[in-house]
Amino acid sequence: MSTDAAISVNGLKKSYGPVEAVKGIDFEVFEGEVFGLLGPNGAGKTTTVEILEGLRPRTGGEARVLGFDPERQTRQLKDRIGVCLQATNLPEKIKVQEALELFASFYTRHGSPEQLLKRLQLWEKRDAFYSTLSGGQKQRLAIGLALINDPQLLFLDEPTTGLDPQIRLEMHLLIEELRAEKRTVVLTTHYIEEAERLCNRVAVIDEGKIVAMGTPTELQQKSRGQSLIQVLCAQPLSKVQLPQWPGASKSSLNPEGRTLTVYSNRPADTLFEIMRWLDQKGIPLEDVHLKRPTLEDVFVELTGKHLRD
Amino acid sequence: MTKAYLALIAIDVRLAMRQRAVIFFTYLFPLVFFFIFASVFGAGSNPGRAAYVVTMSITLGILGNGFFGAGIRAIQEREMNILRRYKVTPITPVPLLVGSMVTGWLVFMPLIVLVLTLAHTAYHMPWPHHLGSLFLFVSLGLIAFRSMGLVIASVANSMQEGTILVQLCYLPMMFLSGATVPIEFFGRFVQQVAKFVPASHLVKAIRAILLEQQDIFQNFREVGALILAAIVGLVLSTKLFRWEKEEKIQTSAKLWIAAIILPFLALGAWDVYAGKSLITAPVFGSAPKRNLTGLIYHARVLVDGKVINPGGVLLQNGKVLKVYEGQPPATEWMRAQPIDASGKTVVISNGQMVDPSELFGQ
Repeated sequence: MSTDAAISVNGLKKSYGPVEAVKGIDFEVFEGEVFGLLGPNGAGKTTTVEILEGLRPRTGGEARVLGFDPERQTRQLKDRIGVCLQATNLPEKIKVQEALELFASFYTRHGSPEQLLKRLQLWEKRDAFYSTLSGGQKQRLAIGLALINDPQLLFLDEPTTGLDPQIRLEMHLLIEELRAEKRTVVLTTHYIEEAERLCNRVAVIDEGKIVAMGTPTELQQKSRGQSLIQVLCAQPLSKVQLPQWPGASKSSLNPEGRTLTVYSNRPADTLFEIMRWLDQKGIPLEDVHLKRPTLEDVFVELTGKHLRD
Repeated sequence: MTKAYLALIAIDVRLAMRQRAVIFFTYLFPLVFFFIFASVFGAGSNPGRAAYVVTMSITLGILGNGFFGAGIRAIQEREMNILRRYKVTPITPVPLLVGSMVTGWLVFMPLIVLVLTLAHTAYHMPWPHHLGSLFLFVSLGLIAFRSMGLVIASVANSMQEGTILVQLCYLPMMFLSGATVPIEFFGRFVQQVAKFVPASHLVKAIRAILLEQQDIFQNFREVGALILAAIVGLVLSTKLFRWEKEEKIQTSAKLWIAAIILPFLALGAWDVYAGKSLITAPVFGSAPKRNLTGLIYHARVLVDGKVINPGGVLLQNGKVLKVYEGQPPATEWMRAQPIDASGKTVVISNGQMVDPSELFGQ
């Protein structure tokens, strides 16, 4: 990942009449990284992305995408980027290969439709009408259309929304391939696991503002939320007074006395002390489980909302 | 960008040919009407009426192609988020609109060839003298009416609105222009109203080219109105073009439809002021009077002791101008009112018809 910015945004604003959809946001997307915009529906992430794609004018602030001003150099910008929008369609009777060839004709440079078809596992379907494709095949074709001009910067707007888990997994693998090719990807999503798995950095956006930004791990660490430690012992620990371990805020045993549950804001220290205590007591272990706060927990903590609200 | 234009035209033509609805409304629908009109208006007995039936079919085809082929289809593409997909590419609305226009023309022109051939072979309609003028005028008409359809698509905020606007334009043009009911059948007041209906001028000029052997220059006023409408329509549909159904347009924008109709309203106003009729060569109406030029055909002609069967007679002011062996030549059909003798005997003596009342019903 480079430190050169493919996108830089300063004080970006967008209003629709009296409604402020984007309230002055700042961020940079570096070349070769997958940057996630995470937020619930209506948070302003699609508006932000559509401004950067040159599809909507901004109300205020500055934006540069691949060195272009998206509002003034729209055609040059569109020629260089790839976009996979939410909810688009193609004519029912267009064939898969025809669609790729048609879109290839719109750009000053383009890749080979045949190679893309093979890469996206659509070669067998090249003569099929668009209306006969499954949801996953349609989405792969949408990504194919976004890749037809061999762009270095891709915008993927909720590319897996509405897809079943198997197809979503296929899309994740495809996005991982794009990341391996060092393409810059801006991914909007409201799926936590998608952002955690695919993004180098994430900006959490809510009500038109960025409320947190960083790598998924950094965001989790910033959380005030506590890690959960669960220890399963080989023998019951009943009638034992549990000590106050460092960093632990709450400790409990299940009724059987074998499962010890501890909440801690310093899980490494706490776990080390628990292990030492159990060793001193000569109690063998069966299993240990550590659960850190997820991005969902971070999001709830920052916004008071769940992502699917 | 040339490759984008060519690719869009190529794919549009392929898509049109794959749509059953396009095939039905572009070819079958006008052909069904062609045969119905031909039967109702007696095209078989009068090549002049066959030419009028061709006029009706072509006009209906142009209206359908413009309002449904261009207008409704453009709304559909926006409503189905197809245009949204194009929006993220570097193309502007111009290649899409040009592609739509060229495709509409390419798909429509075979119909013209088809109805002309059918009218010629099945109903003995002579080939038009100015075939080039006919094709040029029909092309202009197609561009103007497709522009009209595209303007409607640009100002309609939903399919429901678009359908209402299309019907508001299509139905009066269908019934008041002579495209389904000949103008001759209307009362005086409706004939005046018809002068303000854009499609009336389409019917008038096509009819003049087919029936009166006129060329495109003799119909310069209609040509001018079509060119103006096409230019206004193309400029407006480019300026008002919307890629997404979410981009709504103000209700007042619907008034732009008036702008494209304006050239025809001006033409209608001029025709009313100058007392010009939409009917320049009557095809329908009462039987011709003796002093008008008439062309008797399909007759058994008895002239100077000689029998010509079948034969024809050209009359002017009750006098015999010419006697033909077999079918009279094609050009004469348009110069005179054709009269089907249905095999009856026509006796000519001293350059006059003997007892013409049997034929003229007087």
